[in-house]
Amino acid sequence: MRIIGPDELVFGVDDLDACRQFLLDSGLIEAEWSAAGGTFVGLDNTGITVRARDDASLPAALASGATIRQTIYGCEDQATVDAIETELGRDREVVRSPDGSITCSDDVGIALKFQVTKRKPFTAPPELVNSPGAAPARGFNVVGANEDAVAVPRTLSHLVYFSPDMDKQEAFYVERLRFVVTDRFTDVGPFLRPAACTDHHTLFMVQTPPHMQGMEHFAFHMQGPTELMLAGTRMLNKGWESFWGPGRHKFGSNWFWYFNCPLMTHFEFDADMDLHDDEWVPRETDVGAPSAQMFLFEGVEKWFPSGPPPEGEDHH
Amino acid sequence: MTAPLAQVADIEDGHSKGFDPLGEGRDTMFIVRRGEALFGWRNACPHYDHARMAWKKDEFLTGDRARIVCGAHGAQFEIDTGLCVLGPCLGDRLTAVALEVRDGAIFLAAPYAPGLRPRMGRAHH
Repeated sequence: MRIIGPDELVFGVDDLDACRQFLLDSGLIEAEWSAAGGTFVGLDNTGITVRARDDASLPAALASGATIRQTIYGCEDQATVDAIETELGRDREVVRSPDGSITCSDDVGIALKFQVTKRKPFTAPPELVNSPGAAPARGFNVVGANEDAVAVPRTLSHLVYFSPDMDKQEAFYVERLRFVVTDRFTDVGPFLRPAACTDHHTLFMVQTPPHMQGMEHFAFHMQGPTELMLAGTRMLNKGWESFWGPGRHKFGSNWFWYFNCPLMTHFEFDADMDLHDDEWVPRETDVGAPSAQMFLFEGVEKWFPSGPPPEGEDHH
Repeated sequence: MTAPLAQVADIEDGHSKGFDPLGEGRDTMFIVRRGEALFGWRNACPHYDHARMAWKKDEFLTGDRARIVCGAHGAQFEIDTGLCVLGPCLGDRLTAVALEVRDGAIFLAAPYAPGLRPRMGRAHH
Protein backbone atom coordinates (compact mmCIF):
# COMPACT_ATOMS: atom_id res chain seq x y z
CA MET A 1 0.00 0.00 0.00
CA ARG A 2 1.60 3.19 -1.21
CA ILE A 3 0.85 5.51 1.70
CA ILE A 4 3.31 8.41 1.75
CA GLY A 5 2.62 9.93 5.16
CA PRO A 6 0.46 12.52 6.89
CA ASP A 7 -0.95 15.15 4.53
CA GLU A 8 -2.81 17.04 7.23
CA LEU A 9 -3.81 16.99 10.88
CA VAL A 10 -7.15 18.46 11.93
CA PHE A 11 -7.65 19.89 15.42
CA GLY A 12 -10.64 21.18 17.38
CA VAL A 13 -9.37 23.95 19.65
CA ASP A 14 -10.56 26.48 22.21
CA ASP A 15 -8.63 29.54 21.09
CA LEU A 16 -8.54 29.86 17.31
CA ASP A 17 -6.77 33.22 17.27
CA ALA A 18 -3.95 32.02 19.52
CA CYS A 19 -3.54 28.93 17.34
CA ARG A 20 -3.41 31.08 14.22
CA GLN A 21 -0.73 33.30 15.73
CA PHE A 22 1.32 30.30 16.84
CA LEU A 23 1.16 28.62 13.43
CA LEU A 24 2.04 31.87 11.64
CA ASP A 25 4.95 32.47 14.02
CA SER A 26 6.19 28.93 13.34
CA GLY A 27 6.74 29.97 9.73
CA LEU A 28 3.91 27.92 8.22
CA ILE A 29 2.04 29.51 5.33
CA GLU A 30 -1.58 30.55 5.85
CA ALA A 31 -3.45 28.75 3.08
CA GLU A 32 -6.93 29.62 4.30
CA TRP A 33 -8.46 31.55 7.19
CA SER A 34 -11.99 32.54 8.20
CA ALA A 35 -14.04 32.86 11.36
CA ALA A 36 -14.35 29.07 11.32
CA GLY A 37 -10.58 28.54 11.48
CA GLY A 38 -8.09 27.72 8.79
CA THR A 39 -5.24 25.75 7.31
CA PHE A 40 -1.50 26.37 7.54
CA VAL A 41 0.92 24.55 5.29
CA GLY A 42 4.59 23.90 4.69
CA LEU A 43 6.42 24.16 1.38
CA ASP A 44 4.91 20.89 0.09
CA ASN A 45 1.31 21.80 1.02
CA THR A 46 1.12 19.38 3.96
CA GLY A 47 -0.18 21.10 7.06
CA ILE A 48 -2.44 21.75 9.99
CA THR A 49 -6.12 22.66 10.09
CA VAL A 50 -7.66 24.25 13.18
CA ARG A 51 -11.38 24.57 13.82
CA ALA A 52 -13.40 25.41 16.92
CA ARG A 53 -13.76 22.49 19.33
CA ASP A 54 -17.56 22.46 18.84
CA ASP A 55 -17.41 22.71 15.01
CA ALA A 56 -20.05 20.26 13.78
CA SER A 57 -18.02 19.48 10.64
CA LEU A 58 -15.28 17.79 12.70
CA PRO A 59 -15.19 14.06 13.46
CA ALA A 60 -16.23 13.29 17.03
CA ALA A 61 -13.81 14.18 19.82
CA LEU A 62 -12.05 11.53 21.88
CA ALA A 63 -13.42 11.02 25.39
CA SER A 64 -10.16 12.40 26.79
CA GLY A 65 -10.93 15.87 25.42
CA ALA A 66 -7.80 15.80 23.23
CA THR A 67 -7.73 18.37 20.44
CA ILE A 68 -6.71 16.00 17.62
CA ARG A 69 -9.78 15.20 15.54
CA GLN A 70 -8.54 13.64 12.32
CA THR A 71 -5.32 12.38 10.75
CA ILE A 72 -5.31 12.63 6.96
CA TYR A 73 -2.89 10.38 5.07
CA GLY A 74 -1.69 11.07 1.56
CA CYS A 75 -1.42 8.13 -0.82
CA GLU A 76 0.50 7.90 -4.09
CA ASP A 77 -2.57 7.06 -6.18
CA GLN A 78 -6.29 6.31 -6.11
CA ALA A 79 -5.53 2.59 -6.38
CA THR A 80 -3.96 2.75 -2.93
CA VAL A 81 -6.99 4.53 -1.49
CA ASP A 82 -9.23 1.92 -3.11
CA ALA A 83 -7.11 -0.90 -1.69
CA ILE A 84 -7.36 0.61 1.79
CA GLU A 85 -11.13 0.90 1.37
CA THR A 86 -11.35 -2.78 0.48
CA GLU A 87 -9.03 -3.86 3.29
CA LEU A 88 -10.61 -1.82 6.08
CA GLY A 89 -14.15 -2.26 4.76
CA ARG A 90 -13.96 -5.88 5.85
CA ASP A 91 -14.42 -5.03 9.52
CA ARG A 92 -15.51 -1.40 9.88
CA GLU A 93 -17.49 1.37 8.30
CA VAL A 94 -15.56 3.17 5.57
CA VAL A 95 -17.22 6.22 4.04
CA ARG A 96 -16.28 7.23 0.53
CA SER A 97 -16.54 10.86 -0.58
CA PRO A 98 -17.29 12.00 -4.14
CA ASP A 99 -13.65 13.10 -4.48
CA GLY A 100 -12.53 9.51 -3.93
CA SER A 101 -11.18 9.99 -0.42
CA ILE A 102 -12.28 7.68 2.37
CA THR A 103 -12.81 8.13 6.11
CA CYS A 104 -12.88 5.62 8.94
CA SER A 105 -11.30 5.01 12.34
CA ASP A 106 -8.26 3.03 13.40
CA ASP A 107 -8.50 0.27 16.02
CA VAL A 108 -8.31 2.67 19.00
CA GLY A 109 -10.78 5.23 17.68
CA ILE A 110 -8.52 7.75 15.91
CA ALA A 111 -10.43 9.30 12.99
CA LEU A 112 -8.57 8.75 9.72
CA LYS A 113 -8.89 9.94 6.16
CA PHE A 114 -7.03 8.61 3.14
CA GLN A 115 -6.73 10.58 -0.06
CA VAL A 116 -4.55 10.90 -3.13
CA THR A 117 -1.87 13.10 -1.67
CA LYS A 118 -2.22 16.86 -1.86
CA ARG A 119 1.54 17.25 -1.59
CA LYS A 120 3.06 19.53 -4.20
CA PRO A 121 6.51 18.73 -5.55
CA PHE A 122 8.99 21.39 -4.54
CA THR A 123 12.69 21.94 -4.65
CA ALA A 124 14.56 23.99 -2.08
CA PRO A 125 18.23 24.20 -1.22
CA PRO A 126 19.67 22.02 1.55
CA GLU A 127 21.66 23.45 4.43
CA LEU A 128 25.15 23.79 2.98
CA VAL A 129 27.96 22.93 5.38
CA ASN A 130 31.66 23.30 4.71
CA SER A 131 33.64 20.42 6.17
CA PRO A 132 37.45 20.23 6.09
CA GLY A 133 38.51 17.18 4.12
CA ALA A 134 35.47 17.33 1.89
CA ALA A 135 34.69 19.49 -1.11
CA PRO A 136 33.17 22.82 0.00
CA ALA A 137 29.38 22.67 0.04
CA ARG A 138 29.02 26.45 0.23
CA GLY A 139 31.16 28.19 -2.34
CA PHE A 140 33.42 31.21 -2.01
CA ASN A 141 31.74 34.34 -0.68
CA VAL A 142 28.47 32.60 0.10
CA VAL A 143 27.61 33.67 3.64
CA GLY A 144 26.09 31.02 5.90
CA ALA A 145 24.79 33.15 8.79
CA ASN A 146 21.68 35.07 7.75
CA GLU A 147 19.58 36.10 10.71
CA ASP A 148 16.86 37.37 8.37
CA ALA A 149 16.56 34.13 6.43
CA VAL A 150 13.06 32.95 5.72
CA ALA A 151 12.49 29.73 7.68
CA VAL A 152 9.39 27.95 6.41
CA PRO A 153 8.70 24.40 7.59
CA ARG A 154 9.05 22.15 4.58
CA THR A 155 6.80 19.19 5.22
CA LEU A 156 4.71 17.59 7.92
CA SER A 157 7.18 15.04 9.24
CA HIS A 158 5.50 12.89 11.84
CA LEU A 159 2.93 12.58 14.58
CA VAL A 160 2.89 10.83 17.93
CA TYR A 161 -0.21 9.49 19.65
CA PHE A 162 -0.79 8.72 23.28
CA SER A 163 -2.21 5.24 22.77
CA PRO A 164 -4.51 3.32 25.11
CA ASP A 165 -3.39 0.07 23.45
CA MET A 166 -0.05 0.35 21.72
CA ASP A 167 0.05 -3.27 20.56
CA LYS A 168 -3.40 -3.09 19.01
CA GLN A 169 -2.68 0.23 17.34
CA GLU A 170 0.69 -0.94 16.03
CA ALA A 171 -0.88 -4.10 14.62
CA PHE A 172 -3.47 -2.01 12.78
CA TYR A 173 -0.88 0.12 11.01
CA VAL A 174 1.49 -2.79 10.31
CA GLU A 175 -0.91 -5.57 9.36
CA ARG A 176 -3.69 -3.58 7.73
CA LEU A 177 -1.87 -0.58 6.26
CA ARG A 178 1.60 -2.12 5.78
CA PHE A 179 3.56 0.38 7.81
CA VAL A 180 7.10 -0.78 8.68
CA VAL A 181 8.62 -0.74 12.19
CA THR A 182 12.02 0.98 12.06
CA ASP A 183 12.92 1.00 15.76
CA ARG A 184 11.24 0.46 19.12
CA PHE A 185 11.35 1.78 22.68
CA THR A 186 10.62 -1.28 24.81
CA ASP A 187 7.11 -1.23 26.33
CA VAL A 188 6.66 2.38 25.19
CA GLY A 189 6.12 2.28 21.47
CA PRO A 190 7.25 1.63 17.91
CA PHE A 191 8.59 4.02 15.29
CA LEU A 192 6.73 3.44 12.03
CA ARG A 193 7.02 4.51 8.43
CA PRO A 194 4.50 3.83 5.67
CA ALA A 195 5.56 1.85 2.60
CA ALA A 196 5.94 4.85 0.27
CA CYS A 197 8.09 6.81 2.73
CA THR A 198 11.76 6.46 3.58
CA ASP A 199 11.83 8.76 6.64
CA HIS A 200 12.77 6.95 9.86
CA HIS A 201 9.30 7.62 11.21
CA THR A 202 6.08 9.37 10.33
CA LEU A 203 4.27 7.74 13.25
CA PHE A 204 5.22 6.94 16.81
CA MET A 205 3.01 6.02 19.72
CA VAL A 206 3.36 6.10 23.47
CA GLN A 207 1.45 3.63 25.63
CA THR A 208 -0.70 5.49 28.18
CA PRO A 209 -3.84 4.94 30.27
CA PRO A 210 -7.08 5.51 28.29
CA HIS A 211 -7.84 8.89 29.84
CA MET A 212 -4.66 10.27 28.27
CA GLN A 213 -5.47 9.30 24.69
CA GLY A 214 -4.56 12.03 22.25
CA MET A 215 -1.54 13.50 20.56
CA GLU A 216 1.88 13.88 22.20
CA HIS A 217 3.26 16.01 19.37
CA PHE A 218 3.49 16.61 15.67
CA ALA A 219 6.57 17.76 13.77
CA PHE A 220 7.62 19.60 10.64
CA HIS A 221 10.91 19.07 8.83
CA MET A 222 13.09 22.16 8.55
CA GLN A 223 15.94 22.74 6.07
CA GLY A 224 18.58 21.70 8.56
CA PRO A 225 19.94 22.32 12.06
CA THR A 226 20.63 26.02 11.43
CA GLU A 227 17.14 26.75 10.20
CA LEU A 228 15.72 24.76 13.13
CA MET A 229 17.73 26.89 15.57
CA LEU A 230 16.64 30.08 13.81
CA ALA A 231 12.97 29.13 13.78
CA GLY A 232 13.05 28.04 17.42
CA THR A 233 14.84 31.21 18.49
CA ARG A 234 12.17 33.27 16.77
CA MET A 235 9.51 31.37 18.71
CA LEU A 236 11.27 32.08 22.01
CA ASN A 237 11.57 35.75 21.12
CA LYS A 238 7.83 35.89 20.43
CA GLY A 239 7.05 34.52 23.90
CA TRP A 240 6.23 30.92 23.00
CA GLU A 241 7.25 28.33 25.56
CA SER A 242 10.09 25.95 24.75
CA PHE A 243 9.35 22.50 26.11
CA TRP A 244 12.35 20.37 25.10
CA GLY A 245 15.34 21.28 23.03
CA PRO A 246 17.16 22.10 20.94
CA GLY A 247 18.84 18.73 20.83
CA ARG A 248 19.36 15.70 18.64
CA HIS A 249 17.48 12.44 18.96
CA LYS A 250 19.21 9.08 18.64
CA PHE A 251 16.50 7.01 16.94
CA GLY A 252 15.88 8.83 13.68
CA SER A 253 18.87 11.12 14.29
CA ASN A 254 16.62 14.14 13.85
CA TRP A 255 17.47 17.41 15.48
CA PHE A 256 14.51 18.52 17.59
CA TRP A 257 13.01 21.52 19.33
CA TYR A 258 9.58 21.14 20.96
CA PHE A 259 7.26 23.97 21.95
CA ASN A 260 4.12 24.14 24.02
CA CYS A 261 1.32 25.27 21.79
CA PRO A 262 -2.25 26.56 22.00
CA LEU A 263 -3.30 23.54 19.96
CA MET A 264 -2.67 21.79 23.29
CA THR A 265 -0.15 19.35 21.95
CA HIS A 266 3.55 19.86 21.30
CA PHE A 267 4.78 21.39 18.08
CA GLU A 268 8.21 20.12 17.02
CA PHE A 269 10.65 21.56 14.55
CA ASP A 270 12.85 18.71 13.32
CA ALA A 271 15.67 18.41 10.83
CA ASP A 272 17.97 15.87 9.22
CA MET A 273 16.12 12.64 9.90
CA ASP A 274 17.61 9.28 8.87
CA LEU A 275 16.23 7.57 5.78
CA HIS A 276 15.66 3.83 5.61
CA ASP A 277 14.74 1.12 3.18
CA ASP A 278 13.62 -2.45 3.68
CA GLU A 279 17.19 -3.60 4.41
CA TRP A 280 17.10 -1.84 7.79
CA VAL A 281 17.03 -4.03 10.89
CA PRO A 282 15.01 -2.41 13.71
CA ARG A 283 16.75 -1.58 16.95
CA GLU A 284 15.16 -1.76 20.39
CA THR A 285 16.11 -0.09 23.64
CA ASP A 286 14.60 1.11 26.90
CA VAL A 287 13.54 4.73 26.70
CA GLY A 288 14.93 7.37 29.02
CA ALA A 289 16.96 10.54 28.94
CA PRO A 290 20.16 8.80 27.73
CA SER A 291 18.47 6.91 24.89
CA ALA A 292 16.11 9.70 23.81
CA GLN A 293 18.79 12.17 22.81
CA MET A 294 22.45 12.49 21.91
CA PHE A 295 22.63 15.93 23.50
CA LEU A 296 20.28 18.61 24.80
CA PHE A 297 20.66 22.38 24.99
CA GLU A 298 18.50 25.25 26.15
CA GLY A 299 18.10 28.73 24.70
CA VAL A 300 19.37 31.65 26.76
CA GLU A 301 19.46 35.40 26.19
CA LYS A 302 22.13 36.57 23.74
CA TRP A 303 25.40 37.45 25.46
CA PHE A 304 28.81 38.83 24.53
CA PRO A 305 32.00 38.59 26.56
CA SER A 306 32.88 42.20 27.24
CA GLY A 307 33.44 44.49 30.19
CA PRO A 308 32.44 44.15 33.85
CA PRO A 309 28.80 43.78 34.94
CA PRO A 310 26.85 47.04 35.03
CA GLU A 311 26.72 48.81 38.40
CA GLY A 312 24.06 47.56 40.76
CA GLU A 313 23.07 44.53 38.69
CA ASP A 314 21.19 42.01 40.76
CA HIS A 315 23.13 38.73 40.75
CA HIS A 316 21.22 35.65 41.68
CA MET B 1 12.91 36.78 49.52
CA THR B 2 12.85 40.42 50.43
CA ALA B 3 11.74 41.91 47.12
CA PRO B 4 8.12 41.49 46.09
CA LEU B 5 7.32 39.32 43.08
CA ALA B 6 4.93 41.97 41.83
CA GLN B 7 2.13 44.28 42.81
CA VAL B 8 -1.35 42.77 42.85
CA ALA B 9 -2.29 45.47 40.35
CA ASP B 10 0.34 44.10 37.93
CA ILE B 11 -1.83 41.06 37.34
CA GLU B 12 -5.00 41.73 35.39
CA ASP B 13 -8.08 40.43 37.17
CA GLY B 14 -9.02 37.01 35.84
CA HIS B 15 -5.63 36.50 34.17
CA SER B 16 -2.37 34.71 34.91
CA LYS B 17 1.24 35.82 35.02
CA GLY B 18 4.49 33.88 35.17
CA PHE B 19 7.36 34.59 37.57
CA ASP B 20 11.02 33.61 37.88
CA PRO B 21 11.82 34.26 41.57
CA LEU B 22 15.36 32.83 41.43
CA GLY B 23 16.38 34.38 38.12
CA GLU B 24 16.75 31.00 36.45
CA GLY B 25 15.88 32.37 33.04
CA ARG B 26 12.41 30.85 32.76
CA ASP B 27 9.18 31.34 34.67
CA THR B 28 9.12 28.59 37.28
CA MET B 29 5.81 29.62 38.89
CA PHE B 30 2.68 31.53 38.03
CA ILE B 31 -0.10 33.40 39.78
CA VAL B 32 -3.77 33.51 38.83
CA ARG B 33 -5.74 36.50 40.09
CA ARG B 34 -9.47 36.41 40.74
CA GLY B 35 -10.50 39.70 42.28
CA GLU B 36 -8.42 40.04 45.40
CA ALA B 37 -7.76 36.29 45.56
CA LEU B 38 -4.37 35.10 44.31
CA PHE B 39 -3.47 31.50 43.52
CA GLY B 40 0.23 30.62 43.19
CA TRP B 41 1.31 27.42 41.45
CA ARG B 42 4.61 25.97 40.24
CA ASN B 43 5.01 26.03 36.45
CA ALA B 44 5.35 22.25 36.43
CA CYS B 45 2.71 19.90 35.07
CA PRO B 46 2.35 16.72 37.14
CA HIS B 47 2.15 14.77 33.87
CA TYR B 48 5.89 14.90 33.20
CA ASP B 49 8.77 15.79 35.50
CA HIS B 50 9.87 19.41 34.92
CA ALA B 51 7.16 19.99 32.30
CA ARG B 52 6.50 23.66 31.62
CA MET B 53 2.87 24.57 31.31
CA ALA B 54 2.44 27.99 29.69
CA TRP B 55 1.19 27.93 26.15
CA LYS B 56 2.79 31.35 25.78
CA LYS B 57 4.53 33.77 28.14
CA ASP B 58 2.07 34.48 31.02
CA GLU B 59 -0.69 32.38 29.43
CA PHE B 60 -1.70 29.57 31.80
CA LEU B 61 -5.50 29.66 31.41
CA THR B 62 -8.14 28.26 29.08
CA GLY B 63 -9.75 30.63 26.58
CA ASP B 64 -12.68 31.29 28.94
CA ARG B 65 -10.19 31.71 31.82
CA ALA B 66 -12.21 29.25 33.92
CA ARG B 67 -9.38 26.74 34.39
CA ILE B 68 -5.63 26.43 34.29
CA VAL B 69 -4.51 24.60 31.15
CA CYS B 70 -1.18 23.01 30.31
CA GLY B 71 0.13 23.97 26.87
CA ALA B 72 1.92 20.63 26.63
CA HIS B 73 -1.10 18.34 26.25
CA GLY B 74 -4.12 20.35 27.34
CA ALA B 75 -4.53 19.04 30.88
CA GLN B 76 -6.96 21.27 32.77
CA PHE B 77 -6.80 22.17 36.45
CA GLU B 78 -9.07 23.96 38.90
CA ILE B 79 -7.66 27.41 39.56
CA ASP B 80 -8.25 27.34 43.30
CA THR B 81 -7.34 23.73 44.14
CA GLY B 82 -4.83 22.82 41.41
CA LEU B 83 -6.68 19.54 40.87
CA CYS B 84 -6.42 18.11 37.34
CA VAL B 85 -9.98 17.52 36.13
CA LEU B 86 -9.26 16.69 32.46
CA GLY B 87 -6.35 15.29 30.53
CA PRO B 88 -3.22 13.22 31.00
CA CYS B 89 -2.66 13.84 34.73
CA LEU B 90 -6.32 13.44 35.77
CA GLY B 91 -6.61 13.43 39.57
CA ASP B 92 -3.11 14.80 40.15
CA ARG B 93 -2.47 18.24 41.60
CA LEU B 94 -0.27 21.19 40.83
CA THR B 95 2.26 22.21 43.46
CA ALA B 96 1.13 25.26 45.39
CA VAL B 97 3.33 28.31 45.97
CA ALA B 98 2.44 30.05 49.22
CA LEU B 99 1.98 33.79 48.76
CA GLU B 100 1.64 36.72 51.12
CA VAL B 101 0.24 40.15 50.25
CA ARG B 102 1.43 43.21 52.14
CA ASP B 103 0.33 46.69 51.12
CA GLY B 104 -0.68 45.50 47.68
CA ALA B 105 2.63 43.75 47.04
CA ILE B 106 2.96 39.99 46.52
CA PHE B 107 5.72 38.10 48.34
CA LEU B 108 6.71 34.45 48.52
CA ALA B 109 5.64 33.15 51.92
CA ALA B 110 7.95 30.12 52.03
CA PRO B 111 11.41 29.04 50.82
CA TYR B 112 11.50 28.45 47.07
CA ALA B 113 13.40 25.66 45.30
CA PRO B 114 14.87 26.00 41.78
CA GLY B 115 12.50 24.97 39.03
CA LEU B 116 14.75 24.13 36.10
CA ARG B 117 16.73 21.02 35.44
CA PRO B 118 20.35 21.25 36.58
CA ARG B 119 23.04 22.31 34.12
CA MET B 120 25.18 19.49 32.73
CA GLY B 121 27.50 18.16 35.41
CA ARG B 122 25.96 20.27 38.17
CA ALA B 123 23.34 18.79 40.46
CA HIS B 124 21.09 21.13 42.41
CA HIS B 125 22.17 21.69 46.00
